[in-house]
Amino acid sequence: MTDSKGKNLTEYEIRRRRRNLLLQASVTLFALAILAVYLMPMAYGVVTSLKSKAQTSDPGAPVWPAEALSFEYEGEGYDILQVPTENGIRHWALVKKGRRASQFIDPANPAGGLIDWEGNWRQLEPVREFAVQWDNYPRAWNTIDFARLLANTLLYAFVTMVGTVISSACAAYGFARFNFPFKNLLFMVMIGTIVLPPAVTLVPKYAFFINVLDWGGTWLPLIVPAMFGNAYNIFLLRQYFLTIPREMEEAAQIDGAGRVRTFVAVILPQAVPALTAVSLFHFFFAWNDFFEPLIYLAGNREANPITVGLTEFNGLYSSETQLILAAAVIAMIPPLAIFFLAQRVFIQGIVVTGVDK
Amino acid sequence: MPSKKQLTVFLILSLILGVAAGLAGAQDPVRIRWYVGLGAGTDAPLVAAQEEVVADFNESQDAIELVLEIVDNEQAYDVLSTQIAAGNAPDIVGPMGIRGRASFPGAWLDLTSLIEANDYDLSDFDPALIDFYRVEGEGQLGIPFAVFPSFLMYNIDLFDEAGIPYPPSAYGETYTDWEGVEQEWNIDTLAEVAKILSVDINGNDATMEEFDTGNIVQFGFGNQFTDVRGRATLFGAANFVDAEGNAVIPDIWREAEHWYHNAMWSDYFIPNAVYSGSEIMGGGSANWFDTGNMGMITIHLWFLGWGTANLDADWDFAPVPSNNGVATAKLHADTFGVMNSSENPDEAFTVLTYLLGERAADLTSLYGGMPARLSLQGDFIERTAAAQSEVYPNVDWANLNWDVVLAGLQHPDNPNHEEGMPSFLEASARYNEYGQLVDNNGDEDVDAALDALRDDLQAIFDADM
Amino acid sequence: MDMFTEFGAARGQARWSIRAALRLAGAQREEAKWGLLFIGPWLIGFALFYLAPMIVSFLFSLYDFTLTAPDDAVFVGIDNWRRMLADDPKTWETLFVTFKFALISLPIGMVSAFLLAVLLNSQHLMGRNIMRTLFYAPTMVPLIAAILIWSRVLNPQTGWLNQMIQVTGIQAVGMDGLRWLDDPSLIYIAYTFIGLWGIGNAILINLASLQGVPTELYEAASIDGAGWLRQLWSVTVPMVTPVIFYNLVLSTVGLLQYFIVPYVLNDGNGYPEGSTNFYMIYFYKQAFPFQNMGYGATLAWFMFIIGLAITIFLFWSGRFWVYYAGESRS
Repeated sequence: MTDSKGKNLTEYEIRRRRRNLLLQASVTLFALAILAVYLMPMAYGVVTSLKSKAQTSDPGAPVWPAEALSFEYEGEGYDILQVPTENGIRHWALVKKGRRASQFIDPANPAGGLIDWEGNWRQLEPVREFAVQWDNYPRAWNTIDFARLLANTLLYAFVTMVGTVISSACAAYGFARFNFPFKNLLFMVMIGTIVLPPAVTLVPKYAFFINVLDWGGTWLPLIVPAMFGNAYNIFLLRQYFLTIPREMEEAAQIDGAGRVRTFVAVILPQAVPALTAVSLFHFFFAWNDFFEPLIYLAGNREANPITVGLTEFNGLYSSETQLILAAAVIAMIPPLAIFFLAQRVFIQGIVVTGVDK
Repeated sequence: MPSKKQLTVFLILSLILGVAAGLAGAQDPVRIRWYVGLGAGTDAPLVAAQEEVVADFNESQDAIELVLEIVDNEQAYDVLSTQIAAGNAPDIVGPMGIRGRASFPGAWLDLTSLIEANDYDLSDFDPALIDFYRVEGEGQLGIPFAVFPSFLMYNIDLFDEAGIPYPPSAYGETYTDWEGVEQEWNIDTLAEVAKILSVDINGNDATMEEFDTGNIVQFGFGNQFTDVRGRATLFGAANFVDAEGNAVIPDIWREAEHWYHNAMWSDYFIPNAVYSGSEIMGGGSANWFDTGNMGMITIHLWFLGWGTANLDADWDFAPVPSNNGVATAKLHADTFGVMNSSENPDEAFTVLTYLLGERAADLTSLYGGMPARLSLQGDFIERTAAAQSEVYPNVDWANLNWDVVLAGLQHPDNPNHEEGMPSFLEASARYNEYGQLVDNNGDEDVDAALDALRDDLQAIFDADM
Repeated sequence: MDMFTEFGAARGQARWSIRAALRLAGAQREEAKWGLLFIGPWLIGFALFYLAPMIVSFLFSLYDFTLTAPDDAVFVGIDNWRRMLADDPKTWETLFVTFKFALISLPIGMVSAFLLAVLLNSQHLMGRNIMRTLFYAPTMVPLIAAILIWSRVLNPQTGWLNQMIQVTGIQAVGMDGLRWLDDPSLIYIAYTFIGLWGIGNAILINLASLQGVPTELYEAASIDGAGWLRQLWSVTVPMVTPVIFYNLVLSTVGLLQYFIVPYVLNDGNGYPEGSTNFYMIYFYKQAFPFQNMGYGATLAWFMFIIGLAITIFLFWSGRFWVYYAGESRS
């Protein structure tokens, strides 16, 4: 046996390659199997969102979107079942149900009248046909008023993203490049805020925003604090700033640039990847934010973000599983799309800091 | 260094977001917020109808902008509570029953002065019903709007399939069973009927040896959309608080709870927690009757229409069975309340009178309620049947046994099953927990669970002092 | 370098910094001015939204305080604290529920993240980048959407999970089957499944750390005759202990605040049988729906104290099992 370059391969080499190939195949298959289980709920969500309402609540229904066939007889619709008879299985519509005997009609021969059948109709399987309900998506979109939820969420995400990235970048620069009293202590305190349960500060913040500032039902209690930066972002950006060589700033300063100018003109352009990562982090965080909007907006439905809107929808339309899942699928498309577009920057951001929100 | 791709992503993101940022609006007239969720009105088809009422009102004048807020009943109490705390309370709340009112003691505006100032005519109401909303120390908290008597609903198709006679059609009538024997229409008779209507996947019913309790596909009976106090009231009216404000488990309710527990876990003709949330019983919606897999339920007038929107079967009304010779058809009486935190009580009252006056007729039939206005009661049945036929043509509304519905008003529960308790929300949460416990566990000791409930309720009441 | 390593380093230097701060002059003072100016926004935010609320929160805990009637607030001293610690069984019940769930969910989550990272790091895996992206994708699904989907996937009859298990021959579908969300003995496992959709970040951090393990170590172990499993245990695991430590601290703090899943699934009513009455749910109920703000603040502070104690304990225990490469130990 020869390889592509025409050299003779030793038997050992062949065996090693075979073994490698086998290993590769089995590891990959194993990973694929796990992946299939791991991503199964997503597939379930998409498939179920395309089913009819009747099918979602029918335990005997197949996994793919399908509809049970029925037959109209004397103005009424009757389900078609698979009925075992002397002449094999027949597809008849069940007209009159009974515990021990029932009456059917043959859709192929309705003129033949009702057919008596001895047995328990509950043990018969219905006849089904493949049918996809695309209609669920526009219905979910309109019922939940997705356009407004989306506008609210995007507005909130965008405003706080800009604010938090700017202030975080400033603070990160301060921590990365300057010496000042208590710097390490402050840095430690900043990291410490990550493990502080938000519940501790929640009650006074709530009382202050609601009672003193009268911000109930508005986005202000959510937007204003975000304008002061946050520990995750500051840490990530600081790490990145530390990797930027000092020479560039020194050159700018020799040219007479002030501190602020140096920061804006030299550091920030260098840090676009990190800024993008932080922006994305914040965007996803805001897209997911649930607890604080729930409390501060307190049922001001006009202002609801997607997360709160979805839970409300889930409560109001609890019997419409297919619509709820359609809504859930719609809600997960934007973050997934952005993630797939920007995954390199994003993953890099997490790996650099060992941090996530 | 920023790659082109990264910059593009950044730019696209900013663009999308910028466009969204442009989508913001503003408006001016006095805003009155109408909060729906403590009672009827949260079910999908009603949402649109109520929105229409709001649109009509807004079109009819310029001074007030009415805004509708609908919150799912399960969350509505918490949300309203949080809104009140947030200083973001709505102006008008309703329709709501006694439970809604009692859940927020002190939050309602005394309407007395507004009624006087506006010279509002109350002569069209039964004075007893007006007094119903006059709460000592708090004032006139509501103007009567609608009453919702309860009744038994039964699925005719399932009775036919089983080949047994239908329930009696009037209070006091007997039930002639499948062997031709006359029986009093009481809880025992109901249980016998319900067992035959409970069927497993192979078609065996709950009276048979072969009945497979792990694969039941149809149940005989259930108290739909109610809680422990509601279901226990089938045995008689009572409450968890005695006259001195102490926690008690009334004997009649203890008996009821044993009966329910047996029905769920020994005889299997009432869905236990395992079945009640299952797909054959309607999954998360828990609308058992609508699935067509439920023989009989007790339910209120507000259920009509939307409650059977998907039901492909004939059904009718029947009397609630008696216990010790007394039938108790629990009653809901709804009103709209104005919150005392409202900054525009006058405008809120204007809206209130619009809802209770001009729109009382269509709103009551929309919610399936019987109007509190005497002038509207005369043709209530015809109007309801006509209105329902329009939206839900799957039912022959005109030919239902409406007399039994009206007769239910003669058997109200007193004290009401939604009557107040100290620390109402906490106390309700506690007895619901009891319900979860016994409904989810066949081997639970009902007596011990009830005693624990009493002790905990006492502790909650004490903390309220 | 991860956040907690930095934290440790900063801790070491903080003492020095206090002394140095007292002898600043000239250019140093100018630099300090600019530094403080740059961190100014964060510092103000910290004072306003962390420090002050923490103090006020503690003061609230000494009052019987309803937000709708702030004027009626009554100073009650340690009554709220006594009620919480001695008279209110819910405090301990809900803490117990929280810890029970954490003890099940934490190990499963951390081990899964580690093993998946090992798998995604394998040279034998084809299409590694695509695989990594796909394994990360569920983390991007908004939690609320994930809960709505999972709650249906876990449906005992129509959910795919039970139908998949049924294929293997185990009775899973139906009334006698696996009722994930209704059975108190399965509910924590079910919630853990939902949690597994959020481990993408932990996988990535583990992965980054695995890539940092010097290959010489494996070669050396291989020469010593260590098999794959043994290498994993005695080379890989010790080398990634910093990341495990990091994930452990963050997950513990996160689990103490577990709220959204039970809130969305059953409005926080504890179903089934109080097994989902988590501490944070109880806090929320007291502070917001029941409007006992003073008592709510007390519960929050207690959560803080417990969290702090656990974190300190973890940091202390970390000395014995976390291995920092390049760090000399005395």
